[in-house]
Amino acid sequence: MQVDFHAPYKDRVRQALSDPNLRSAVSRATDRMSDARHTSMDSIEGQKLRTQVRQMKEHVLRNWPEYLEQLETNLTSNGCTVHWAEGIEDAQAIVKDIALQNSAKLIVKSKSMATEEIHLNHAMEEAGLRVVETDLGEYIIQLADEPPSHIVAPVIHKRLEEIAEVFQEKLDMPPTREPTKMTSLARARLRQEFFAATMGISGCNFAIAETGTICIVTNEGNGRMVSSMPRVYVAVMGIEKLVPTVEDAYLQLQALCRSATGQNLTVYCSMTSGPRQEGDVDGPEQVHVVLLDNGRSRMFARGYGEALMCIRCGACLNACPVYQEIGGHAYGSTYNGPIGAVITPALAPEIGQFKELPHATSLCGACREVCPVKIDLPRLLLDLRSDLVQQGVSPKSEAWGIKSYASLMSSRRTYESLGKMASIGSNVYAGLSGGNIKFMPPPLNGWTAYRDFAPFAPKSFRHWWRQRKKLRGQT
Amino acid sequence: MSVRDTILSRLKATLNQPDLPFPPQDSDPLTQAERMTVTHAPGDRWAQAERFAQELNAVKGSCELLETETEARLSIISRLQLWQEEEQSARKTANAERAGDWDVLCWPLHQLQIESLPLILKEMGFKLIEPTDLHDPEQRERIRSIRAGITTVEAAFASTGSFVVGGRGANARAASLTPFRHLVVIPFSKLFATGEDWLAQMRFAGQLDAFVRQSRNLSIVTGPSKSADLEGILTMGVHGPKVVHAILFDDVHE
Repeated sequence: MQVDFHAPYKDRVRQALSDPNLRSAVSRATDRMSDARHTSMDSIEGQKLRTQVRQMKEHVLRNWPEYLEQLETNLTSNGCTVHWAEGIEDAQAIVKDIALQNSAKLIVKSKSMATEEIHLNHAMEEAGLRVVETDLGEYIIQLADEPPSHIVAPVIHKRLEEIAEVFQEKLDMPPTREPTKMTSLARARLRQEFFAATMGISGCNFAIAETGTICIVTNEGNGRMVSSMPRVYVAVMGIEKLVPTVEDAYLQLQALCRSATGQNLTVYCSMTSGPRQEGDVDGPEQVHVVLLDNGRSRMFARGYGEALMCIRCGACLNACPVYQEIGGHAYGSTYNGPIGAVITPALAPEIGQFKELPHATSLCGACREVCPVKIDLPRLLLDLRSDLVQQGVSPKSEAWGIKSYASLMSSRRTYESLGKMASIGSNVYAGLSGGNIKFMPPPLNGWTAYRDFAPFAPKSFRHWWRQRKKLRGQT
Repeated sequence: MSVRDTILSRLKATLNQPDLPFPPQDSDPLTQAERMTVTHAPGDRWAQAERFAQELNAVKGSCELLETETEARLSIISRLQLWQEEEQSARKTANAERAGDWDVLCWPLHQLQIESLPLILKEMGFKLIEPTDLHDPEQRERIRSIRAGITTVEAAFASTGSFVVGGRGANARAASLTPFRHLVVIPFSKLFATGEDWLAQMRFAGQLDAFVRQSRNLSIVTGPSKSADLEGILTMGVHGPKVVHAILFDDVHE
């Protein structure tokens, strides 16, 4: 069963949980990536690397406007064209205009979360342009007409058989489940597109302010293709994706690769500083950089700046017990997992638009432990919950529940007598239903729908303690 | 106000808030002295060359370490022959594939620092393609059928088995990207213990900034193209080369 992206949050979660194939595919893949990350970070001074990348990113955000201006100046002097986009419509219009000015009909694209965020493919297709995703995983989900479900591994939710079915149906592939054959087919098909395309679009893993350089990181080489083969190259970058120097870029690159897939370095880090000059054999004639805000400056002002240090490695997704159970689609947003649960509401015009996401967490802290920038995600999730309460967005029943809990807990007498009643009631009920409680009325059936409820201990701790003291004659 | 100015002034206004929870007021940059070197490759150049080979092998590349330029020349030729034969036997139509059909996309050969290589390769029947403009449809069409690419490097890093290829002038980016096989020739003088070492040396010489900008495109390459998108199963040669073979030779003789 597939997750219906348009269904309400709880329904999506339910759909995801009732799909055993999805759960096994996601948990197998996330376990593999987590193990690789662990081994890779343990083989170096991992803690020091995390501390240093964090220090560098904090410095960037403290001097954010200055670094953006420096990047803009250097990109421009290298011959690139810089565009600023406030939101989704702006960004779509900028990219569409570049395509139309260059009469581009076919666009090749490498994987990019920023372009997912602005629904770029949809907008370009509406304008009559054909956009082809070239990352193997993205290509598969584009053929299957689904959004990505993981920041670095977009097709993590699909098993090989399902991918083979997509290839058979959409590419007329002869029946096979041989990964090498499937990859060869994709290579051949996409090679034609690379050679025919007028325009290439990518995201930007990081941009170097001092040299005006756009860096993209891929294992397949599609990032290099997209930024080298077509005549026009457009990079769409979130305005926070800055590093000051080339050395900082190399440091962050290593933190990114190790945290994302456990590699020392990914196969390709492609660094573009400008368009082709006279005498160059290849390379794009035009390089455009779209600097995308889309809520980032607002998120910064709201106090969620710490999450803007994110380098999109996906380590927190792999470590998260909630993500492992429900996968990416259940979140219903471009960014998922713990980081998605923070930045989706924080970037939105109103955080209440995504009020469920700060609750899609067990607050276990595993995400914080693996984050290469040491972002305190559990604290940010709590901050969001607190903002939701202050804005009155949380459900009334929750406010009422917390109020009653507070009054109950502030009186020892009430607490003890309620405890006694619960003990007697639950033990009688359990006795009638054979030891454990199998059903409770709403809203408590949230528990018994999935598991039995053990009755309260016949004696409370306090009661037992008092008796113990009495027995020892210490009253 | 332009979009640019609106965004920048919003950021500036936020940073001026005295009680902004993040980022901390005293956020110092990471200095050259304190920035860590992530991986290490101790030892002399030969030890580093061995480490390079070990790292490249670990990511499914392959490598030869040679003592002289002459050996490197022989190795380049025999590697190309080997690839040609491999392909012929794979296709099982040996007579259809003559040496003359085997196009190789090459950087200008004088850059490989190996004397008389072009002449020998041509004599052996390899057709060396040296395009001048890959936006020209005819030249573009020709590189579709190339079987291998030969390049040298800007630098190579022992601790990760990586190399840096630039993309300006006659050095086609396509040579290390579009063919199935990439033969990369690395003289020891271009080999550094780590990426950080190379960057430090370039910075110290005052060349880093200009080098990065003037290169237009630099790619740090670590092994052959690969993907794990098909249920985590590793497949090679998705878009870039499936085979990366490095020939390192000692041009330093310390």
